Amino acid sequence: MSKTVELRGVGVGSHGIVGNVWLLAMAGSPLKPQRATRELAEETEALTTSIATTVSGLRGDATGNDSVSSDIMEALLVLVEDSELLELAKPSLEQGWDGATALQNALDEFSAMMGEDEEFQSRVGDLMAIGREIGSVHRGETRSLDLPSDGQWILVARDLTPLETSKFGPSVVGVITEHGGPTSHTAIICRARNLPAVVGCHGALTLRHGSSVLLDPAGDRVVPGGSLDLQTQSIMLAPLSDAPLITVRANIGSAEEGREAAHTVAQGVGLFRTEVLYLNASDAPSLVEQQALYREVFLAAPRGKIIVRTIDAGSDKPVPFLPVAREENPALGVRGFRMASKFPEFAESQLRAIAGAVAETGRDVGVMAPMVSTVEEVRHFASLCHQAGITQVGIMVETPAIISVLPDLHGLVSFLSIGTNDLSQYLFAADRLHPELSSFNSPWQPGLFREIKRIVDAGEILGVPVGVCGESGANPLVAIVLAGLGIHSVSAASSAVNDVASALQGVTKETAQRCASAALAATSPEQAHSEVRAILEEL
Amino acid sequence: MTHTYTHTVVVTDSVGLHARPIGQIVSLVKAEGVEVTLRRPGGPDVSAASALRLLAMKVKTGEEIAVVVEALDIETATRVAREIDSYINQG
Repeated sequence: MSKTVELRGVGVGSHGIVGNVWLLAMAGSPLKPQRATRELAEETEALTTSIATTVSGLRGDATGNDSVSSDIMEALLVLVEDSELLELAKPSLEQGWDGATALQNALDEFSAMMGEDEEFQSRVGDLMAIGREIGSVHRGETRSLDLPSDGQWILVARDLTPLETSKFGPSVVGVITEHGGPTSHTAIICRARNLPAVVGCHGALTLRHGSSVLLDPAGDRVVPGGSLDLQTQSIMLAPLSDAPLITVRANIGSAEEGREAAHTVAQGVGLFRTEVLYLNASDAPSLVEQQALYREVFLAAPRGKIIVRTIDAGSDKPVPFLPVAREENPALGVRGFRMASKFPEFAESQLRAIAGAVAETGRDVGVMAPMVSTVEEVRHFASLCHQAGITQVGIMVETPAIISVLPDLHGLVSFLSIGTNDLSQYLFAADRLHPELSSFNSPWQPGLFREIKRIVDAGEILGVPVGVCGESGANPLVAIVLAGLGIHSVSAASSAVNDVASALQGVTKETAQRCASAALAATSPEQAHSEVRAILEEL
Repeated sequence: MTHTYTHTVVVTDSVGLHARPIGQIVSLVKAEGVEVTLRRPGGPDVSAASALRLLAMKVKTGEEIAVVVEALDIETATRVAREIDSYINQG
């Protein structure tokens, strides 16, 4: 029963690739057996709870899928929540094993009872994966990836955490996730690594482990069994001048990405995400250690200005040594510059380390704060920067509230950078990770363009340049619209820099302004996109 | 007083009685609050509240299964039996 219908989602990247499906849910070795640390009754109850919470989570994930895959998932969940399974787990629990081990033993025993039953054996991997997931939840662990080191794999998962994406080796050539929109963390990281991806892809988990698929991000689709010649072609503009209409910079998160960016036409760095340096550190690095990290990145980065964003962490992007309590709404919680008030010593040491590295390398560096929404916050950040010896101070414009007060920032900032990803999610009140809300977070939303225009106007009043460092700028056609709106620079992941720069070499200022007018006047993202495309296709 | 209704089904699905219809049967039995057992001719009663037990029956294509529904009224019993029949052979 192989399905050959294509799956739709949101494409990330411009080149297609053919590879074999590596179903994350299917992968993974069995959990290591562990002894229980609680009394039998307590352990049994904890296991019951772990099963119930995991099952209800998976059930929630399955809603919205097509009926076939949600029925299959439901069938597996009904098996897992069967109280008979707990009966099978009892002997192991009574022998002092923990709930995760006991559950795994119970599933093994049941699987043995089923023998060679073909239909069952074809789904036993999924059942075991659910068991492992429950086991991980039970032990409070996060899943680990067990990827093969060779081959051409397209990783398929419900969703990926930044920690998981950071573990990809060269055998991962593409990513498909059931969840996530164009600005989800998975999408951003894939773009940064030049990994084609299709996110928010309904039915992704029904793909067969090991089967060959065409990943076609330009066509926003996945074609099971498809070959590379089926991939969607993108629009090409002939160059009109040697330099792009506006400055194009790279977005980086590490020295390695800085070196990669140096091989592109990027004129500097538009966004250096500093939190990446800290995600794996269990203790706060010392000032000297931090300064060395920044020095390495500054030396690796492409020639031109470097814009550093201070740490943007929170409960959704946790940094081990900056603990934040679990929050109901991480996107609206203690994150971005709000962390600086919670951890003032760290905020100070980060700025001093950056200033030290600037002095050592002589690079032209601006520093900006993420997620500010009031004049007081900007004043606070500017004074911290001045104390540390940083002169070029800027902010990310990503909350609706800061836009209204931009004219009051006179003398406090020397540049503005629009983070279109968060700005979209806050403007439209649409979670950027929500699989059903990705259209709100489209870079083509006329409401977003009109808001960007307001920011450009405010930048003129302040007399400071306005850049865009969000994922919008990674889309060549959107970058043309941004140039037409009066944006001074855009930045994108290294993989997109050359495409964006060549698109911006292919248009005149007048053409870009025509595109901008069309996008501003549109009443839907589809209309904005198709009208801009029509103007450019005429050329 | 409860009513018992017995309905016999011949499994025609090419993969026998598999996980998907079993999931649907268990959900239905729970939602309706009725007692349902499945059994092969002359075999033991298997509670339809347990997906694991139903799956472990390993019913193959062509086998005949008795669906025994116990409900408070005969209408519910027959309706549940018919629904289970439609799950087992959904073509």
